[in-house]
This record gives sequence, C-alpha cells and structure tokens, in this order.
Amino acid sequence: MSDTVNDTIPATGLLERRGAMRQMEGQITGCAISRDSQQVAFATGEGDIMVADRADWGQSNAWNVMTVHDGAILAIAPDAAPTGFLTGGDDNALRRVGADGSVTDLAKGRRWIEHITTWTNGKGGVIAFASGKQVELRDADGQTTLKVLDHPSTVSGIVFDAKGKRIAASHYNGASMWFVQAKVDTVRPLEWKGSHIGIAIHPAGEALVTSMQESELHGWRLSDGHNMRMSGYPSKVQSMAFTRNGKWLVTSGADTIVMWPFFGGGPMGKPPAEAGGLPGVMCTRVACHPVHDIVAAGFADGSVLMADTGAQRILPVCIGGSGAVTALEFSPDGCCLAFGSEDGRACVVDLSAK
Amino acid sequence: MSDTVQASPDATAQNTLVPVTVLTGFLGAGKTTLLNHILTAQHGRKYAVVVNEFGELGVDNDLVVDADEEVFEMNNGCICCTVRGDLIRILGNLMKRRAKFDGIIVETTGLADPAPVAQTFFVDEDVRGKTRLDAVVTVVDAYNVIQTLDESPEAVNQIAFADVIILNKTDLVDEVALATIESRIRSINAVGRIHRAQRGDVPLSDVLDQGGFDLQRALEHAPRFLEDTSHSHEADVTSLSYEVEEPLDAAKFQAWIGAVLQEQGADILRAKGILNYAGEDQRFAFQAVHMMADGGFIGPWKEGEPRVSRLVFIGRNLNRPQLRRGFESCRAK
Repeated sequence: MSDTVNDTIPATGLLERRGAMRQMEGQITGCAISRDSQQVAFATGEGDIMVADRADWGQSNAWNVMTVHDGAILAIAPDAAPTGFLTGGDDNALRRVGADGSVTDLAKGRRWIEHITTWTNGKGGVIAFASGKQVELRDADGQTTLKVLDHPSTVSGIVFDAKGKRIAASHYNGASMWFVQAKVDTVRPLEWKGSHIGIAIHPAGEALVTSMQESELHGWRLSDGHNMRMSGYPSKVQSMAFTRNGKWLVTSGADTIVMWPFFGGGPMGKPPAEAGGLPGVMCTRVACHPVHDIVAAGFADGSVLMADTGAQRILPVCIGGSGAVTALEFSPDGCCLAFGSEDGRACVVDLSAK
Repeated sequence: MSDTVQASPDATAQNTLVPVTVLTGFLGAGKTTLLNHILTAQHGRKYAVVVNEFGELGVDNDLVVDADEEVFEMNNGCICCTVRGDLIRILGNLMKRRAKFDGIIVETTGLADPAPVAQTFFVDEDVRGKTRLDAVVTVVDAYNVIQTLDESPEAVNQIAFADVIILNKTDLVDEVALATIESRIRSINAVGRIHRAQRGDVPLSDVLDQGGFDLQRALEHAPRFLEDTSHSHEADVTSLSYEVEEPLDAAKFQAWIGAVLQEQGADILRAKGILNYAGEDQRFAFQAVHMMADGGFIGPWKEGEPRVSRLVFIGRNLNRPQLRRGFESCRAK
C-alpha cells in the first residue's frame, strides 16, 4: 500500500458549510442513525447518549443529552423498528432508547454487552447482541428471546446477512455461522487459527471477512469455504464495510482508504485499491454510502474524508484538529454523515440537496 | 513475533500511559488479601480491577471486570507468542472511560503462566499506545513456597517473571527459614524486589508505581559478576547478570539481542537491561519477555553514577559464557 498523496485538500470542508459540532464529555464510543433517518445518536464512554433530530442537524445546541448507562456505552445500533436505538454497556445492560427519549431495560447479564446488531425487512425484525461468549437473538420487540448461541471464546463481532437468514460471529480461531430461524441450532464453523477481532459479510452473501489481531484480514468464500487472506496493513483493521453493491470491501488500518475488489475473481491474487488518504495518518473508521459509490473515512487526527470509489475524487469533510475518529455512519437514506472522536467531538453533516 | 527491539514511547510519554499492575501468585498465597488491602487503603487513587473469579473480591470497587483468561497464539501457533486477547479487549474498553481511574490491576489465576499477560503489553499497538506494564507482582506463601517450587513449574515461572515478590505469611515461619526462602527466590530471580508481609500488609509504595521502565533500582540488586564457571548450563530457572563498562554500539546490541531472543526466546523468561550507548547522554532501558522486546531512553545518567551497561537474563538452559561473550562483543569500537 503505497502513499496516495492528495495535495489538493482545501483547508476547510463540508462540516463547516453543512454541519454542526458539539463537544461531549468523554469519548464518543459509537454513533447510529435510526432506520427512518430522522435521528442521529452518539454514545459516550460516560454512559450518555446525545440525540439530534433531523430538524436540528444544523443546531447542535438543540441536541438532547441523556444518561442511559452506568458506565461506558460499548455498543449502539439502530433499533429493528423504524425509530429508536439499542445500547449496550459495561454495566452489562441492554437498553432501548425510544424516539421520544424514553429508556427501557431489555436485558441485564453477567458480562459486558459489547456488540449489538439488528435486522429488519420492514415487516419483521431480529435483534442480536453479544455478551461474553454468547450471542442472544431476540424478536423485534426486544423482550422475547428467540435463542442463545454459545461460542468457544468471547465474541468480538456479529453480523446478519442481508436477508436476515443467517448470523455470523467472530471469535478466537475463526467465525461461527448460524441460521436465525433454525429449529435445531447447528453451527457452520469457519476455522482459521488466531484471534479474530471484527466481522463483515458481503451484501450478496458471497463471503464472510474477519479482521485479525495480526493486522490482516481473513475471508471465507461462503459457497465452498475457500480461504482468502488480505494482508499488508501497518496496523489492526478496526473498521470495515462492503460497498452497497458488494464490489469493494473498504477498510481502515492504513494511511489510505484500502479497498479490496470482490469482483473479477478478487480479492484472491488482486492488490487492493486505494481511495486516497492522509500521508502518515492512520485511517480508523470507514463507512459506505447506501445509495452512491461514495465511502467516508475517519482518521487518527480527527480528519474525515469522503471519496468516490470510481473516480479519484476526494471531498474533505473536516481536516485534523482533534482526537482519532471513533465513530462514523451514513444514514440509511444517505442524507446524513455522523461522526465522533476520541476526545468527545460529535458532528453531523447534512448531505441532502438544498 | 518481534525479533527486533521496537522503540517505545519516550520517557515523557510513558508518564501519560495508564500503569497496569499484574498480580500473580499461587492459590492461597494471599493475592485476594493483598488486592483488598490495595483497594481499601487510603491512597486517594482509583483502580480498575480485572479479576478472574467474580465475587471473590471482598470489597466494593466501581470498576471490577470479570475476565476469562482467554489466551491465543499469535502468528499461527508460536508458543512464545501466547497472548491474552481478552485483556486487549478489556483494556481497550476500559480506556474509553479513562478519566475514571488512575491505574489498572490485573489479577491472574493461581496456575497462570505470567508470560501471556506480559506479552500482551508488547504485541498490541493499542495497548502499548495507552497503557504500560508497571510491574508483575507475585505473592508467595512463605509457609508453602519451597514445596510449591519443587512441585510446580508454574510457581517457578511466577517468581521468575516478578518485578516485585511479596513474601507473605512470614509469621508462620522463623527467620532461618525466611533466609532460606529468600535465597531460593534469589537463585531464580536475582533482580526482583522482595518484601516481607503478613496478611498482605505491605506499604503500597512497594507494590504500585514501580515504574516498569525504571529498571535502575531493580538492577541495583543484581549481584555483580555472579559468574559460576563450574557448569555452563542450568536446567532450573536462574538469573544471569552481566556488566560491560565500555559504551555499547546500539546497532550491534540490537542485532545481537535480536538473534539471542529469536534462538533462545523459549528459554528466556525475562531479560532486562540498562544500557550505556556510545554517543548517548541518556540511559537506554531494555526489556523482553520470551521473544518479545522493547526499549526506550529513560533520561540522563545521574550525577556521579557509573555509566555501566547491565543486562540480566532470567531463564532455563542459558549458556553463561556464551551470553557474556555476546554481550561484550557489543562494545563500541
């Protein structure tokens, strides 16, 4: 991965022109945008949630802060419903934050709740959360436990496939794949020695990819279990996302935005493409736009860029000036980019046509 | 696996890193008692505690994390690169609420090998970037220790790894026995600081803030030229210490120590050194756990202090004269 030097970055970016920022106490540990794209929520290491309603995206003093957990919030996801959010914390609790700001207890366990993911097709939905070695699946109401799936070691990431039929979890020595609706739970083990620390699935279900402690990615082609190895990173890959059409797997872990081709026989034997970056500054978070061929990337110095996956065009959102970007999301309708940093900056950029 | 000596953050950056104290010791040695003593003492500092058996902790503490001691082998199974992956995860999450505590204490199970815990602080970039291993503290039961050492290689490893050894329950044995025990401990680990205690009642200054990198104090205890030429191979765990008075060539030392750790890393439990590099005004501190090493400059030599390079190995099957010749060959010309 050689340097892709972009020397045309202007000093200011989209955040200044179309966004708003608010300084929070404590680290931003995650952000999520509701499925109806009407609310952005930021989670902090102090247990707080800050919610920005769509009408107030440009006015950060109107964003509403509330304490939801006693301790750090380790996971946040949009609820399976059109509105609201789910949060998990190091107080071992899973909570629901409604669009009206109401907070409901859903679960309280013996371990930290470190990962939450939800799936819906608009009619039904499933909620999944990981606590220690277990992944629990619940009905969209959040109260009814569908099943509890056990793993050999602590789960480091969970993901539903696009159709919500299967859920996969990463852990030591590989990943486990399960059918959500199976009457009898039989695991499909995907084995590869080592510590797997994150997971992503191809939108058409072609491949499952994990991030590894040894600063590389491992993948399995799901049709035949063929192994894929994607290496060459200078640091651990903390964030990865497939583009909407599944053509590219976009990742952090280098000083450029790294994109592995999942077409034309790739990623096997193909070098990754680079969608620009900041020389010498590590990319820490990536997100893919749900409608256009655009990726967003956050960096260790607080910078955020948007890049076109086709053309070599880069649009700066903000440049430097703060701690590492620790949260970055597009809204489902693509009209909003939200991001947060290690030193507590929470930002919303309105991308909608005006 | 790193076979080169990585540069560590410099001395000032070290101070902003959260200190982590690793507490080891055999079952019944008094680890939990010592932990409770630390947590209840009036020191005005807050500690996050990572324990292995939930509920054993007898005191209230805001931040207690229950860990499963999940180890894995880096790089497809090299035994010298066994790491506590759960600790990487837990420390990473604890750092999200950094402002809430001053330090972290990690308690291991009685039978645990301290190597994976120590190695965790070498391999993970995020752990290295935010925390530092302050000290491995091993609690030893004076009444049972000799028998335990005879029967259990894990107990020997725990002593070998220690920066600080709390010799607990000294009221149960007499002074003659204590002297025997201390000499036995010294034969394994010549540089660990030994503190006698009853019911874990040690001054906290003996346990916390040991400053993993300020090895000077540790190495002052190292007996000089303790070279026993009667046999060059020692099957039991032992400490070898060396001194070189002339300045060292940094590149030569790094090449040599890299090769030594690569070839003998399985047998070298720990290595520590304070080095006098030619052309440098500052002391260079070096430390290694099995094959993993790092080092950094730790400030200038003190007034009147002899500028001598000292290096200590703790391990098995170490060849004294060979290591001495190797170390001496690193002298700058």
